[in-house]
Amino acid sequence: MLAVCTGCSLLCEDIELALKNGAISQAKNLCRKGYAHFQSLFTERTKPQVDGQKASMDEAIARAREILRESKRPLLYGWSSSSSEAQREGIDLAKKLGATLDDTSSFCEGLLLERVLTGRLRTCTLDDVRNLADLSLFWGSDPSNSHPRLLSRFAYYPRGEKRQKSYEEERTCVVVDVRKSATAALCQQLIRLPPGGDAEFISAVAAVLEGKIPRTGDKKRMIELGTLLRKTEFGAIFPGAGLVYSLKEKMDLLESLTERLNQIAPFRVLPMVGHYNGRGFNQLLLEETGFINRVSFQEGQARHSREYSIMEAARSCDAALVIGSDPLSSLPFGVARALASVPLIAIDPRRSLTTDAAEVTLPSAMYGLEAAGTALRMDGVKVEFQPIVESSLMPDREILKRIGEAV
Amino acid sequence: MVGAMEVYQLLPKTNCKKCGYPTCIAFAVALLNREKKIEDCPPLFEPKYAEKLKKLRELLAPLEKASETGLIIHEEKCFGCGNCVVACPVNVAADPTGCAIGLGPKSDRVILVVEDGVVKCLNAKECRRFGPNRILCNACTATCPSKAIEFV
Amino acid sequence: MIEVKIVTFQDIFQYEAQKKGRYSEEYKKLSAWIMLDKEDLAKLGIKDGDRVLVKNVNGSVVVAARISDEEPHPQPHPGLAFMINSPWSNQLVGDQVDGTSIPEFKNISAEVAPTEEQVTEIRELLERIRA
Repeated sequence: MLAVCTGCSLLCEDIELALKNGAISQAKNLCRKGYAHFQSLFTERTKPQVDGQKASMDEAIARAREILRESKRPLLYGWSSSSSEAQREGIDLAKKLGATLDDTSSFCEGLLLERVLTGRLRTCTLDDVRNLADLSLFWGSDPSNSHPRLLSRFAYYPRGEKRQKSYEEERTCVVVDVRKSATAALCQQLIRLPPGGDAEFISAVAAVLEGKIPRTGDKKRMIELGTLLRKTEFGAIFPGAGLVYSLKEKMDLLESLTERLNQIAPFRVLPMVGHYNGRGFNQLLLEETGFINRVSFQEGQARHSREYSIMEAARSCDAALVIGSDPLSSLPFGVARALASVPLIAIDPRRSLTTDAAEVTLPSAMYGLEAAGTALRMDGVKVEFQPIVESSLMPDREILKRIGEAV
Repeated sequence: MVGAMEVYQLLPKTNCKKCGYPTCIAFAVALLNREKKIEDCPPLFEPKYAEKLKKLRELLAPLEKASETGLIIHEEKCFGCGNCVVACPVNVAADPTGCAIGLGPKSDRVILVVEDGVVKCLNAKECRRFGPNRILCNACTATCPSKAIEFV
Repeated sequence: MIEVKIVTFQDIFQYEAQKKGRYSEEYKKLSAWIMLDKEDLAKLGIKDGDRVLVKNVNGSVVVAARISDEEPHPQPHPGLAFMINSPWSNQLVGDQVDGTSIPEFKNISAEVAPTEEQVTEIRELLERIRA
């Protein structure tokens, strides 16, 4: 049977699976990450629990409602590993509760995605990259480890309409990073920067594009890069967490650089999205509220502020619903501690540090495996998926609806 | 990768021609191409070459595991990224609407596929490194992010 | 003791172990380490696999030291260390943020010193979080 992989934001749709006795007997075209994701269907699954005791689903939902009803400053966090339908339910729930709403993009690709979704950074689809791009630039990203099939499906190796000779003659790959990543080992050029050195690098690129000698960095390499950029017919830039954490509030520098590059040829930006439906949440929230993350409905109308980011709201909230995410593992210690000190409701198909610390755990079905839904690929293309196995577990859109019925 | 000189150093180096080749270096090359086996050199089995024989067996052991083209896959290192599947010229020629454009293989005449998260080699005989007209194609090894696929 | 800047990153094999479960030996083995330049290992007088205490104002954690493996063109990077983004590395990331409310995941200042202590277990990390 054909399946869609929800292991990362590439949402590969050419997965061929054979099932036998409820287990996967053979899987084709899944990368190592996707295969691990599919296999996780069978291990460490959560069960409904309340205050450390086994409970029924109804009891757990009742307790979750209670916690949220009693809370004055609830926080709803996670979202990027939920279907678009569930995300919509989540926004409705947040409005009902007057809650703060934030997702994982808030401390990662949000700064980039915001600019892409509002048109300040021009973008394209992954199919455009495959068909048109002769330069792929991985900037502070290592797709070989995070989105393993990006190079083979779109960015470097496949043939495309205008790139029939592909990587052998018609495509070049450049990596800008602080280390020699697995992706860097495959590309023509690695420009190695010191941590935080991206602003200077951008100045150096601007200089070589004007035909000047850059003041910093490996001058020979920079001049080579300048030549390469000037010859490019269609450039695809894939910035990752590495660039975000380096530039941060100086992200305007990337805007000015891409504007300059667009005078040479089309240069499009495709931010690396961490989870399979991160972009879906940001786009949905943008449509509903005008902001991609960090909103609060406490005053009725959506307000956006850094105080509503998970980093800050973790400390100011008095209860939190965490959906499809494990912030106790992935966030800085102090933030994890703050979250663990308030009543936590965890909606997750699998066990994590967060589900272990939660007052209420609500097991959910895994999308693309046990439940149907839609999601947006990292380039915004909509992908639909169907379940491959039957399951009596509720998908999180259903759980959220049930919670919302009586808060 | 094992070189002919390395193999040669472990042979008797007498050019006795008992293997059917004029020189030991020619026999070394034939060993690497799997055209000859260690047993085809009778002098190697004399007691005075026992140490060399042992070392030679160790040196050539990886070739046993490799396919006829000398391809070895280290599954524990493989990312399942599909770079080799999409880069392989045999795959591309056999599957213009599948591997050639980055998708999973649609033809069963391909030689590299990703199964259960790692790359597998099928139909090794179709590989361009195989047979009398072989060429030194390295599309799969050059595109691997982790050296999971290599030639001995 | 040496001072380093730590950059965290993602790794496909650690992801695989995480998908099997956060409480496994495998997950700990693939997450709880710090990669140091040859020169830095020598300064500490330790070898690949020895344990180190990594400490800064935000917290501390015991992990295994690994020698930098950037082949085939190893570029020295003394003073720069690498860790996988994990609950171990998060002990060292500060929660005080600047205007963008983005934590410092990729420029963590810390001290590294050899230690006889065992590698911190994940249960210990959860206990610290819930304390």
